[in-house]
Amino acid sequence: MRDSCGPPPAPERRDGSYAELHCLSNFSFLRGASHPQELVERAIELGYVALAITDECSVAGVVRAHVAARGRPLKLLIGAEFRLECGLKLVVLAIDRQGYGRLCRLITRGRRAAVKGDYLLRREDVETSGLQQCFVLWTACLSRAKDSPPRLEESRWREEARWLRQHFGVRARIAVELFREGTDRQQLLILQSIGRELDVPLVASGDIHMHVRERRKLQDALTAVRLNLPIAQAGWHLYPNGERHLREYERLARLYPPELLAESVAIAQACHFCLDELHYEYPHELVPEGETPSSHLHKLVEAGARRRWPEGVPQKVRKTLQSELALIAELHYEPYFLTVQDIVAYARANKILCQGRGSAANSLVCYCLEVSAVGPERGAALLFERFISRERNEPPDIDIDFEHDRREEVIQYIYRKYGRERAAIAATVIMYRPRSALRDMAKVFGLDPDSSGRLSRVMQWWDGNETLPERVHEAGFDVHDPVLGRIVSLARQLVAFPGFPRHLSQHVGGFVICEGLLEELVPIENAAMPERTVVQWDKDDLNDLGLLKVDVLGLGMLSALRRAFALVNGFRGTRHTLGRLPDDAAVYEMISRADTVGVFQIESRAQMSMLPRLKPRCYYDLVIEVAIVRPGPIQGDMVHPYLQRRAKNEPVEYPSDAVADVLQRTLGVPIFQEQVMQLAIAAAGFSPGEADSLRRAMGAWKRSGGIEHFRDRLIGGMLARGYQEEFAERLYRQMLGFGEYGFPESHAASFALLVYDSAWLKLHEPAAFACALLNSQPMGFYGPAQLVRDARAHGVEVRAVDVQESDHECKLEPQEDGEPALRLGMRMVKSLSEAGAARIEKARAAAPFTSVQDLAQRAELDRGDLEALAAAGALARLSGNRHLAYWEVAAAERPLPLQTQASCGDLSKRPGNLEEGRPLLEAPTEGQCIVADYASVGLTLGRHPLALLRERLSHDRILRMDELDRIAHGRTVRTAGIVLMRQRPQSANGVTFLTLEDESGQVNVIVWESVGREQRRAMLESRLLEVRGELQYQEGVRHLIARRLVDRSALLGQLLTCSRDFH
Amino acid sequence: MRLRVIRPVVRAEESGSHAAIPLQPRRLSLLGSENVRQGLLDCTELWIGMHMTGRTEESPGSPSLQQLAIRAQRFTPRVSLALPDGLLLEVKGSLHLFNGATGLMGALAEEYTEVARTSSCALAPTPLAALLAARWGKPLVITDKAQLIGQLTHLPLTLMRWPVEVLERLARMGVRTVGQALRLPRAGFAQRFGPGVLADLDRLTGRKADLPRLFRPRERFRRRCELTYELESTERIVAALTPLLAALGNFLRARQCGILKLECLLQHRHAPPSSCVLRLANPLTDVARLTELLGERLNALELPEPVRSCELRSGALVPHAPASHSLWQPGEQGGEGETQSHELVERLQARLGTAAVYGLQVLAGHRPENAWGLREPTAQYTDTGIGPPPWAAFRRPLWLLSSPLLLQEKAGLPQRRGALRLSSEAERIESGWWDGSDIERDYYIACDIHGVELWVYRECLPPHRWFLHGVFG
Repeated sequence: MRDSCGPPPAPERRDGSYAELHCLSNFSFLRGASHPQELVERAIELGYVALAITDECSVAGVVRAHVAARGRPLKLLIGAEFRLECGLKLVVLAIDRQGYGRLCRLITRGRRAAVKGDYLLRREDVETSGLQQCFVLWTACLSRAKDSPPRLEESRWREEARWLRQHFGVRARIAVELFREGTDRQQLLILQSIGRELDVPLVASGDIHMHVRERRKLQDALTAVRLNLPIAQAGWHLYPNGERHLREYERLARLYPPELLAESVAIAQACHFCLDELHYEYPHELVPEGETPSSHLHKLVEAGARRRWPEGVPQKVRKTLQSELALIAELHYEPYFLTVQDIVAYARANKILCQGRGSAANSLVCYCLEVSAVGPERGAALLFERFISRERNEPPDIDIDFEHDRREEVIQYIYRKYGRERAAIAATVIMYRPRSALRDMAKVFGLDPDSSGRLSRVMQWWDGNETLPERVHEAGFDVHDPVLGRIVSLARQLVAFPGFPRHLSQHVGGFVICEGLLEELVPIENAAMPERTVVQWDKDDLNDLGLLKVDVLGLGMLSALRRAFALVNGFRGTRHTLGRLPDDAAVYEMISRADTVGVFQIESRAQMSMLPRLKPRCYYDLVIEVAIVRPGPIQGDMVHPYLQRRAKNEPVEYPSDAVADVLQRTLGVPIFQEQVMQLAIAAAGFSPGEADSLRRAMGAWKRSGGIEHFRDRLIGGMLARGYQEEFAERLYRQMLGFGEYGFPESHAASFALLVYDSAWLKLHEPAAFACALLNSQPMGFYGPAQLVRDARAHGVEVRAVDVQESDHECKLEPQEDGEPALRLGMRMVKSLSEAGAARIEKARAAAPFTSVQDLAQRAELDRGDLEALAAAGALARLSGNRHLAYWEVAAAERPLPLQTQASCGDLSKRPGNLEEGRPLLEAPTEGQCIVADYASVGLTLGRHPLALLRERLSHDRILRMDELDRIAHGRTVRTAGIVLMRQRPQSANGVTFLTLEDESGQVNVIVWESVGREQRRAMLESRLLEVRGELQYQEGVRHLIARRLVDRSALLGQLLTCSRDFH
Repeated sequence: MRLRVIRPVVRAEESGSHAAIPLQPRRLSLLGSENVRQGLLDCTELWIGMHMTGRTEESPGSPSLQQLAIRAQRFTPRVSLALPDGLLLEVKGSLHLFNGATGLMGALAEEYTEVARTSSCALAPTPLAALLAARWGKPLVITDKAQLIGQLTHLPLTLMRWPVEVLERLARMGVRTVGQALRLPRAGFAQRFGPGVLADLDRLTGRKADLPRLFRPRERFRRRCELTYELESTERIVAALTPLLAALGNFLRARQCGILKLECLLQHRHAPPSSCVLRLANPLTDVARLTELLGERLNALELPEPVRSCELRSGALVPHAPASHSLWQPGEQGGEGETQSHELVERLQARLGTAAVYGLQVLAGHRPENAWGLREPTAQYTDTGIGPPPWAAFRRPLWLLSSPLLLQEKAGLPQRRGALRLSSEAERIESGWWDGSDIERDYYIACDIHGVELWVYRECLPPHRWFLHGVFG
């Protein structure tokens, strides 16, 4: 066979070309060892005519391959591999759109019949799937029987091939896959004889698992992970060699007869389905009988406008509405707006607070449809015009935020309305992260769980890929140990850009809804949550194919705002609601003081340090504030120029009118993502289409590798239009910054509304605001302890959890002066059941409790609940201190059902009731009480724990935070506090920010990278941290620049406080 | 000849239940003072508790608790185990033999020097108190019942080893020491924590009698017979052993046990004793089989001198349910193949030595070097779920060279006593990178000029040398 290798093949010669029809990408999770993009690139390099991506019962990887092959000399075929329950293995390739639809249905059928991540198909399923427009390749594979050398397999093969012939006729092929395993000739002969006998053509294919042979190790390792075996035990489950890669034509020609290679090309030529053919049809039921989408939308908008302007719609608004509707009609976006309107209408009818954001949301149409509350007085229409243009074929983008704890109701409504055949959630591809990669690879090498755990713990969540060996060394492993070397090098391959996919999960809320059967568009599979289904593509895939989705997201602040409005309106009889609060200068003053604990978006410490510098004075300032404290503007070096210009320290200049148009509202500095696109058009002469790909490069830089390749176009375009080189370079740098992360104005505009409303509530109704935040936990930047501390600092009386007073939720109680006090609710009590709390409320409504016994009996509490209450100190009024409460609780257990009648029906007859009188128990100390408070309720109304340690700390010359106020800039000080937060923003070049708190206040600590590296343990693990360093004041913001960090956690004893760690 | 079974030297007399002793105020007794003797007289029992820190059920490298207990029987017959890490010795009756508590503690320390650093002792009138004090790690000596509670007050409750849940609940009430617990009302305490926990406290203070279970060592068979004249021939030695073996048979039958190990020690006049150890694949009780096997072993043994006495020692007893005898004898039609192969293996091992007989096992792995391994000859072949072997795995030579042999190459073909002819297609094996011995080879079957089939390979990577790796039978 060696002589069949001829001279290098000319592309046009049929016998010199090849199409790979059986190729797995790494979306056949833990089987394929190459990215779809890599496979496409390699196939092009090798001069293949076509490449089929045939992942196992999946098309999850095809869009990535499609994007990579777009406009390249390689035909991409779409298919999938299946192993049926009987062991038979098939590859199905779509010939046209219909064939593709049926393939998707087959995949859906298999996936829905099994648990998440698995599939189950029988021969009947394939027979009845209507695969007329598909090629069906049967691959001869070994049975799972122990000892079946080739001749024993032959009869089974014959039977399988006959079945294939019978059901798929002329579209059936026998795939011959030869891997130099020593039996190639024998196998080929058998298959040839079967082919002749049944008249089924043979075709060459490669069962590709990797794009190059070098991935063999990774492929072996992934196999071991899949089998959950150490690799040394994986034995024959591994492939004997690395032949399952894309092979050069010459090698193939040595293995296969030429007609088999030619057949692969013939099949590829017969398949003409392309993913670009897919298009989207909106659901029809949104439009009532006799209406068109356009007329219906007009009606809804008209009705909405009359609601918004009861005194008559202003002429200007009417004009804008008309032009918006015309634009929508022209682009055929009516059904999209109707879809969104329908979902929002459902939420409103059910009193679920929601708000839209995104390019299309800031339109007057959406304002009238009540999708958004950003009205014309806040520049809604102004924004819309900029965001949707007829030239750019850019799909409208509306994300709708719902109260986070009621979003599920909305999701269930969508499923109900459209059915599971027509609506599903987009997938999220879960990628390998350094930690998971190390853990899996350590397991592959049979490391014991302890060291494997230690190794993966080494990776703190913020560590970049590059620091792996260093971290591993720090954890006490020998970097030169060859096994460790292999683990680390494989882990690196797994996390290297763009990251190996591990499995599909569900997107937070991106819904795909369509008119026809969704499963003919993209396969649907089960998600981990019961009653949830996801499609096999993620949001980038959908975007790449121009398929639209509606994002149904959850936002904690909306829950908090709804609760706060309800509390205020209930307490004072007002009728406040979202987006209708009066404009108040005092609110902006409070914001400018950075007094913003709990306020939406601007409560983070980065935001807090920006607020006194930016000093927002109006709504649009808030829009800028929300967008400017982001990695994009910070890395693009836009913050400082903007602040300078705002403070009028620097003149506002524009190189041209076109640029002025774009940048006027941000004083000549690009801050929003949209401005970058507009600049590309206005200054660099980009076409709208190019600007759109630039936007996507910025939005999805993860996938397309940043915007660097736009550099020449951008700078060249600007120079050609007469801009200075320096301006061009600066603009390009700023754009690069956005490549990392920029925030769109359209989203900031909606967020700013929530910022204002939450700030207004904080200022005017601090008790209700804190109460609502507590009831909406977990959310936001601060935990209950900080929220309560802040509320008390603002004069709110906070009352302890008390079984005689508290409801499940925190609530407002009138004080003597008529102002509200905040009563902590039983929801704060750790491990108290919600049902138990409900029974307490109900029983108490009948009569107050007289004793712990009475409580236990009437509220039918079990010991778990009673102990939880005792731990919280909620029984204080019934039994005294915690020790006594525990003593009583221990006896007051609700009798077991069997005992109720006979032995224990009358509690007074139980032995415990005869004795009693108070037992000789020592009262808990103050320190013990504080520890117990933190452990159960998560906060204390008593003294700050550091107050108890103050004497000891003063002895060490450690200053209180309020004492720092008297110390001048640049002095070295020593202070200590509980670590509230650790942050390491990606934009900060390895700097870590810590927030420490003691009984008198907080201080922000900056740890430079070098200091942090040397004192990593203290920085990461301390709960009580002593910091020595230099005090600095900058524009009214105080920082402590750390030099030395000392872990003083031992002083806390068992004090339980948890810091919240953020990116 | 006499059958001797190792048993505790003295049987513990069944102590009757002790009535609760009324607590009367007494003076604190100090060790070694006159008062001690006074105090000692007042207590009906005195216990020494020993605690070995950091010991679990099986601590490797240190004597087992049972071994320690056996040695403790030197001091008193009443020894109890407090698993997993404690011993209890009732020493009231032995004190006078050791010159009082001081002497006894000293003697104990001497006996247990090797564990001295990781153990602690204490003496108290109740076993639990002694144990608790020992766990506490301070050399507490309480000889006066009246002082007992006062001495225990500060001990942490965790030493009681109650369930974590009980200890946690007590801790939440601020009750962390024995004293704090004893201050609580009894009925309320029992109601909250159960009568068992209260009973523990009562046993601690002596309010309730405590009878730890007595320790009895494990049984083994050991018997010796002195010969009246020296023997040299194996047959005679076996004959001399026969009564011992018969006794062993009775011993085993009586206990429904078998043995896996039997040692035969033969004493000589000058030379060190010869030993021959019989290891068995299955627990065995059958005397005839044992005799036969022992005979085989003795045959293989070279005796330096004539034998003067012999001794049999059994290994640990293993419970053995005797199989009902089959209708046919092995070898006849219907005899079970498995029994036969066991017998063959045992006979081979008896003749050639245990280490010389082993079984072969196919291992799942693509590298030929790693595709087979040794196993216990009698071990059942277990399906390790290694997955289906590749087809090519059926074409492997039975004789694999322990390390491949480099072959000369001429005109692209390997040479071995002339040019080899490749008679198969290539089988590529690339595997094994994970343990540092990655191979990348193309294997071929080759014929030499004599028609012998060889298994050769060529490296996939430069310098592409040829090697001989096996020979087909």
